[in-house]
Amino acid sequence: MAEIRLERVTKKFGDFVAVNNVSLTVKDQEFVVLLGPSGCGKTTLLRAIAGLGMADEGRVLIGGRDVTYLPPRERNIAMVFQSYAIFPHMKVYDNIAFGLKMHKFDRETIEKRVLEAASMLHIEDMLDRYPGQMSGGQRQRVAVARAIAMKSQVLLMDEPLSNLDALLRLEMRAELKRLLADIGATTIYVTHDQIEALSMGDRIAVMKDGEIQQFDDPTIIYDRPANRFVGGFIGNPPMNFIEGQVEQTDGRLSVRIGGFRIAPDPAMQARLRPYHGRSVLVGIRAENMEALNHPADDALRVRVLVIEPLGAQNLLTVKIGDDIIKVSTHPSFIVAPNEDIWLRFPVDKIRWFDSDTEIAIRPEM
Amino acid sequence: MNANASHLEAPPEMSPEVRALHRRMLWRRRLSRGFTYFVGILLAVWILAPIYFIFSMAFTTPETVRSYPKGVLPFIPFSLETMRFFLSSYGIVPGIVNSVVVAVITLVLSTIISAPAGYAVSRYLFKGRNAFRLSILAVRAFPILILAIPLAVMFINLNIYDNVFSLALMHTALALPLTVLVMSSVFASVPYELEEAAMVFGCTRAQAFVRVVVPLVLPGVAAAAIFTFVMSWNEVFAATILTVRNRTLPAQVFFTLNSSSEPYQFAGAFAMVVPALIFIFLIRRYLFNMWGQVSK
Amino acid sequence: MNEDSTPSNSLGRRRRRDWTPYLLILPTVLYLLLFFAWPMFRGLGLAIWNPEALLALRAEATQDSAIAGKLPQGAEVEILERQGNLIPPEEQEEAANLLTEIWFKIKSQDAEGREVIGWVPDRRIRVREKDEEERPLAGTVRPKLGAKADPLTSVYAEPNERSEVVGRLESRVRVDIVEQAVLEVWFLVRGQNKAGETVQGWAQSRYIQVFGDEESGRVDRGNAGQLTAEYIQKMTQDRFFKPALYATLILTLLIIPVQLVLAIVMALVVQARLKGNTIFLYIFAIPLAISDLAAGIIWYAIFTQHGFLNSILQGLGFIDAPITYLSVDTRYWIFIAIWLAEVWRATSLVMIIVVSGLQAISEEVLEAAEVFGASLWERVRYIILPLLRPSLQVALILRTIFALQLFAVVVALSGGDVVTTLANETFRQYSLLRNPHVAASYASFILLLSVGIAFLYLRTIRTQQELEQS
Repeated sequence: MAEIRLERVTKKFGDFVAVNNVSLTVKDQEFVVLLGPSGCGKTTLLRAIAGLGMADEGRVLIGGRDVTYLPPRERNIAMVFQSYAIFPHMKVYDNIAFGLKMHKFDRETIEKRVLEAASMLHIEDMLDRYPGQMSGGQRQRVAVARAIAMKSQVLLMDEPLSNLDALLRLEMRAELKRLLADIGATTIYVTHDQIEALSMGDRIAVMKDGEIQQFDDPTIIYDRPANRFVGGFIGNPPMNFIEGQVEQTDGRLSVRIGGFRIAPDPAMQARLRPYHGRSVLVGIRAENMEALNHPADDALRVRVLVIEPLGAQNLLTVKIGDDIIKVSTHPSFIVAPNEDIWLRFPVDKIRWFDSDTEIAIRPEM
Repeated sequence: MNANASHLEAPPEMSPEVRALHRRMLWRRRLSRGFTYFVGILLAVWILAPIYFIFSMAFTTPETVRSYPKGVLPFIPFSLETMRFFLSSYGIVPGIVNSVVVAVITLVLSTIISAPAGYAVSRYLFKGRNAFRLSILAVRAFPILILAIPLAVMFINLNIYDNVFSLALMHTALALPLTVLVMSSVFASVPYELEEAAMVFGCTRAQAFVRVVVPLVLPGVAAAAIFTFVMSWNEVFAATILTVRNRTLPAQVFFTLNSSSEPYQFAGAFAMVVPALIFIFLIRRYLFNMWGQVSK
Repeated sequence: MNEDSTPSNSLGRRRRRDWTPYLLILPTVLYLLLFFAWPMFRGLGLAIWNPEALLALRAEATQDSAIAGKLPQGAEVEILERQGNLIPPEEQEEAANLLTEIWFKIKSQDAEGREVIGWVPDRRIRVREKDEEERPLAGTVRPKLGAKADPLTSVYAEPNERSEVVGRLESRVRVDIVEQAVLEVWFLVRGQNKAGETVQGWAQSRYIQVFGDEESGRVDRGNAGQLTAEYIQKMTQDRFFKPALYATLILTLLIIPVQLVLAIVMALVVQARLKGNTIFLYIFAIPLAISDLAAGIIWYAIFTQHGFLNSILQGLGFIDAPITYLSVDTRYWIFIAIWLAEVWRATSLVMIIVVSGLQAISEEVLEAAEVFGASLWERVRYIILPLLRPSLQVALILRTIFALQLFAVVVALSGGDVVTTLANETFRQYSLLRNPHVAASYASFILLLSVGIAFLYLRTIRTQQELEQS
């Protein structure tokens, strides 16, 4: 059992609060991704777990043991670093064996584990080489092999793929996911790449300004962002946000965008009632709107500004009132800049946000 | 934040063991920091104490210099008498003048000669670039004193022996390898893109160099020049071999070492140390450019 | 190690043969050739080449005639004949210290009343009149003494006793001196060369020391060089050679390990990310710019009998009377003082090299070692020291070579003869004993030691690099 529990962890650098009162529980064998823009404190949090830079406040528990004040080597963890941190003066074999040697494993065990880890990462032919003679991708494999050879129950990864080129990253992503599923260690994986996070994590913790914004399954993070930041950070293009006025006609609430009214589904009616007469944020993803090139009753007329063909889809930039939003359409949808189109908003795809707090307004379950 | 809510229980009480661990860790950290400071201060005292000693000897009365036992901490009376006595001794003022003249000629010569080479090494890929760099490094490692004797013989034959200019020629040869290395790293620190940008906006290569590169490298070049100055100022062996009547300050102090009084020697040592102190202060940012590079 | 010194890829396109870089490095290359490579070569030459070992004898009494044979310096010779060669007026100044003859061109009348114009050696004329610049204007022919002597004086067409006789003058005849010429004297000599063969030929008088009988002499110096071991022998047989060599080696061995350890400690303090670590760096770097002479005097101020060490010890009550440290009887104290002064002065250089080596070690690599279980000592042992190895080796080479040149510190602390070093002997041979050849031998010896040691170090470095590149 290696559950990782963070309790009210705070880490400051001078006056700057890098991690602010974060609590987080990662279940045994779970793969959790810490996602956020640079400077959000995700790496600081990971380092606090690793013991590189101890938490100023709060506690870190690994497998029920309080490790807050233990040095890294007593925490029984393995880690993959952003720059790989391969020892340049050691051969690949000695690099992979390093942790095992430091933990005084016997020679046979070390050899067995090194070979095992190397073959899992397909670098068994390179054990005699020095890192200086290897490509970035190969060094990355060495770094991962060094970590998994430890067979520790906790594996920490700090942006392990960020130094690879795009193609290699794609390949390595899938391979890492399979590998990590096989070894079954509790893994915390730090990245700023939302695609990596969505595709790999069992759960994603989105961070901003030292705080966790949302901690959930990838599909929920994508589909039901907890706040405007998460919606805007996840997804490419990010979620669109349009300012709308909550109004009441005939006892039913509707939200007016420009001259167009959207009727929220019944579950939302009650939740939106307090916003009567105020504005809310309407959030919708680009792929969830339906574009028509003819007028329709339930469609809003908008002006197309830019068309970006992306192959599988066309991305349109359109203007609604003062808001600029992105709409993705099938390539067969023909339109020219400065023409008008009509947009249909499926009500079940709309997410509602408080326009002041920017926190999601969710239907009562 | 909503997500966090589920974990927001009261923080569990720290067990006594964990608290003890915390205390021990804080102690260990304080101890190791204190130990590092202790070692650092000890080493700083080891470096500074002798300099303080010589300073206190140079700025006191000759009687105090000869007295025994000497007070150590600020118990030594301050006086300019020793220094005045030293400066009025035979050959000292001309020696200082000679030293400055040699050092200035050396720094001008070595800057003029090494700047283009440094630029070439940092900006051009050419056949033999590495060979050039390596031989410069090798030259730097050669024992310099072997140069003095043949150069002296050569200068006698050419009738330019015992001449500040010929000593400066030798000092330039000593300084050149290092100044070339410093120059190349100083030029390398100015991105070539800046020069290209200047050329795109209508400068010729030469104009780009003068308007964009020169202002940016000036501090580094100045540091190299200061270094050259101090190297020449400090050089003893070649100065004693190559000069007879036109002695530099170190050569003058050196030749009178066995026949001079202690106040004279101590004041002389301090006079030689002063530029060093100024030097370290002025070029502190470039220390690694100068010596760090050798590890390549 | 230093990436900023490699040009960026954008420079790749300047591959087309462009002479600019060569022009730019030309001054440096020329300067170093002229004032570094050439003197170094000459220095080695001075040590093993005696430029005056042999005297080349000429078939004729001219510089450009064929060489008839060579005589070694000091060989005894018979002088068979002498001849004067005209020295052009512009070279007469330089000829001042040569054995020369002066000839006058005279105008006079012989016994038959014919006008005679021609050359006579000055020894045949007594000068009677001179102009205001002391140039002879007129004189009389000297009478010849002795019964057998020819009473008439010959006048020659050229200033040369072998040329045609144009007239003969009686003694005491008045002559007008039209012109004078300076002649260099050549001797036809015969002697034995090293192989024992008898050789005969002409040599300029300056190379021959003539004995009183004017018929024999010795080769005083030569005009052709020869490889010789005499200077090196003189060096090795010098009574200061062995003490100097031993002192240099002992001091090198004492200084360098301590410097390496101390420099690593200093570097670790500087790199420990404490507040004020840059102040530590600057303080540690100060001696970098202090000359060895100043350092020597500074430590002399500490170790001299009335110096700070005794003052402090007495102040603390450890001693009652000052101890004499720097004397012939306490040579080991001189060694200790030199050792301390050098460690004090020259550790900074090593420290700077080590610090920049440490800075090149990535922070993440050290953290990785920590995460994978290495304690502080294990990190130093398995990560920091191996990664510092190239820096340490460079520092080692530089410091060893500099330590072999120990000079002013030694003179300041020992007066230069109680403890002496190879560099100090170089200086003494040149400046005090006026023997540049032996001085050059010492310098060359230091050079060879340095090159040898550097080569040893470099071989160990190369094995590491080869491993990484193979």
